[in-house]
Amino acid sequence: MDRTLANFIGALRNAEIRISTAETLDAFNTVELVGYTDRDLLKRSLSLALPKTRDEKETFDTCFDRFFSFDDIRGARTGAQGDAAEDSGSEGAPADGEGDGAGGGGEQTGEPRQGAAQGRRKSRQRGASTLTGEQEAEEDLGPGAMAEPHSALGKLLMLDSKVELSMSVAGAGEAVNVREIQVFTQKGLYTRRIMDEMGLAELNGEIGALRDSRAIPERRLGQELKKRRDWLREQVRDYVERQFLLHADATGRRLREELLRKVKLSNVEHRSFRLIQEIVFKMAKRLATMYARRKKVFKRGQLNVPRTLRHNLAYDGAIFDLKWKSVKIDRPRVFAICDVSGSVANYARFMLMFLYSLEAVMPKVRSFAFSSDLAEVTELFERNNIEDAIAKTLRDYSGGSTDYGQAFQDFKRLCLDDMDNRTTIIILGDSRNNYGEPRAEILKELYDRAKRIIWLNPESRNSWNVGDAEMRRYSAYCHQVEECNSLMHLERVVGNLLKTVA
Amino acid sequence: MQEIEQTTESVAAIRENLEAHRYICSDQIATAVYLAYHLRKPILIEGPPGVGKTELAKTTAEMFELPLIRLQCYEGLDEAKAIYEWKYGKQLLYTQVLKETLEEVLQGAQGFAQSVNRLHEFGDIFFSEEFMEPRPLLKALREEGGCVLLIDEVDKSDHEFESLLLEILSDFQVSIPEIGTVKATREPPMVFLTSNNTREISDALKRRCLHLYIPFPDVDLEQRIINARVPDIPPELRRQLVSFIHELRDLDLKKSPAISETIDWARTLLLLHADSLDPQLVRDTLNVILKFQEDIENVNGEVMAITSKVVANQPGHVR
Repeated sequence: MDRTLANFIGALRNAEIRISTAETLDAFNTVELVGYTDRDLLKRSLSLALPKTRDEKETFDTCFDRFFSFDDIRGARTGAQGDAAEDSGSEGAPADGEGDGAGGGGEQTGEPRQGAAQGRRKSRQRGASTLTGEQEAEEDLGPGAMAEPHSALGKLLMLDSKVELSMSVAGAGEAVNVREIQVFTQKGLYTRRIMDEMGLAELNGEIGALRDSRAIPERRLGQELKKRRDWLREQVRDYVERQFLLHADATGRRLREELLRKVKLSNVEHRSFRLIQEIVFKMAKRLATMYARRKKVFKRGQLNVPRTLRHNLAYDGAIFDLKWKSVKIDRPRVFAICDVSGSVANYARFMLMFLYSLEAVMPKVRSFAFSSDLAEVTELFERNNIEDAIAKTLRDYSGGSTDYGQAFQDFKRLCLDDMDNRTTIIILGDSRNNYGEPRAEILKELYDRAKRIIWLNPESRNSWNVGDAEMRRYSAYCHQVEECNSLMHLERVVGNLLKTVA
Repeated sequence: MQEIEQTTESVAAIRENLEAHRYICSDQIATAVYLAYHLRKPILIEGPPGVGKTELAKTTAEMFELPLIRLQCYEGLDEAKAIYEWKYGKQLLYTQVLKETLEEVLQGAQGFAQSVNRLHEFGDIFFSEEFMEPRPLLKALREEGGCVLLIDEVDKSDHEFESLLLEILSDFQVSIPEIGTVKATREPPMVFLTSNNTREISDALKRRCLHLYIPFPDVDLEQRIINARVPDIPPELRRQLVSFIHELRDLDLKKSPAISETIDWARTLLLLHADSLDPQLVRDTLNVILKFQEDIENVNGEVMAITSKVVANQPGHVR
């Protein structure tokens, strides 16, 4: 089996692209067809077979670029591990292009001059500043014979074989489970673990001993080994970095997502908004798929002649079991009334986001925003994307002091005629009316007419009736009153809504 | 047959062949056709309306010289309209006829068991191929020598219908309870599904398809498309109108103009013998590219600015 591709698919899964086994097989067939030689073609082909939405395609692109970056360590590693000819073809071209591939391994330590030159060439990769800095500190031993290294890692380093070295790094990486890396602060830790696993301690001991030695060739070797050790550390760090990006970035994200679900919405920092939005979409999508299949066949409308006849064939053509054409999809009709004054605005944002993300199952959401006067914002949401619509709503309606009485009156004027016994009204607000007239009798009127009125209060239950809050009077005319201040609450409420209304 | 082999031997060959049929496409699209042909997988094409999703299927059919069978999806589409239907009228008629001949058939039968046996000899004649009306999907499977099956706007259909498609997409067969499983002929059809993304297509369906997203083309590609479709248009005007459309797509419109609108507009301008854009001309023809009064009103204010920008931008960086 093609290990490279399997690893790549693992990385994609980690980046939250859902790939089933069947799709994995498709990918293998695809690769068999197009081969690894043309990188662009490979990318285009796999992007047809694996990611299945536009977002996934974007993620795929970054993953692909990161994974098939073909730079030294990774490229050499996979190249060495791959068993098929096509495999080496994949890495062969780009790796050789760097002029520093496995071919460089030909020169052996037997020729010290060569070895030193090679070492210098490699250390160039570390960046000029460290290079010169260290070389100034080192005593100049000049070119000359070098002793043979004793430690395993030392031998490996002096072997100048990139392939062997990369394999060793990868092997050590597997041994310390670098794939399980979760947060970026662990990068240093894993770098050290890999170095240890490769036999750093032994090497350090050797370098120490060599540097203290009297014999010039041994000291020379000591310098060389130290240089190469530092270079190796750099390589390992790069390797860990890549592994982190491939395997951990998403895991860390999941942790954060998990947290955000539970945190109070008003405490969410601004920079997390995007992430929250994604969570909301995800939750909404789950709810949507759960409730999308509700349908009812109504016993009226147009007669479905073919089906009726066919069905009644069994009764000797006597038509008595009628079939109807119209299959009506029963969807809840929801009015959302959101208090968008300062104290509640943040909750309103997420509530609206949630409701509108459920478009597939609740196409008839009409939303209203108020702080003092109430206005319908449905059209804003139809014309803009959710984010913009919310921003505009908050901008236009959040000024002014809260007046529930006025808001209910406006709502009644606007919508009472459109309401029927299938309508659900969701009110989001803290019921803090600034000691104004609560006008609970209007709510009662709505209560009598609607199927359900759900009041979501972002404050905790204890403070519902404290101060200017009118929750006690309002809750008498609600079918359901809920505390709602985190995404989990929101999901539960909307889930219940779909269950009972649909 | 050899011709087809040549056509499909590489992605570039496919692209050239599509171009020969006046479908100018990106490498991504050509790759999709290439993979679909060689892996025998359906392609699910998504993208904004009017970027040539349906056209790709049509052109592919032309290219392979295969018949195109099209199934337009809509809400309420069911198996009776998509796969097969019994010819109920004929069935009813035959029942009536049979009733009269029943006596002859049963003549001489001894006892109930024997009568039933004789009736059984008729078999399930009412539910045989004779009485079956094949619909697009079944037709596509039975097409000798293969065909291109286009399932258009699959997002408009119901969830249930998607499930109906699963069998045909993965195994190129349908099961009809009364008859059995109908498998595709030697050449299974090439299947294209298109979706405008009005709703999410289920994962099960997506899993069985290659997924191609066609975005709006870049300026260069769109110019080549216009060149292929409206070859008579002067190059300078072509450059201007394509740039103009691209400016519009950056605006916040209810419906951005798609390729089909660009083509229509190019034809309109050609008809009006225009050789360069000017604000008045644009205003007069805006209804060709914008389909909502609101959009037209919004753009009307900007026409002057965009036109002068587009006209002033001399050719050079754009071919």
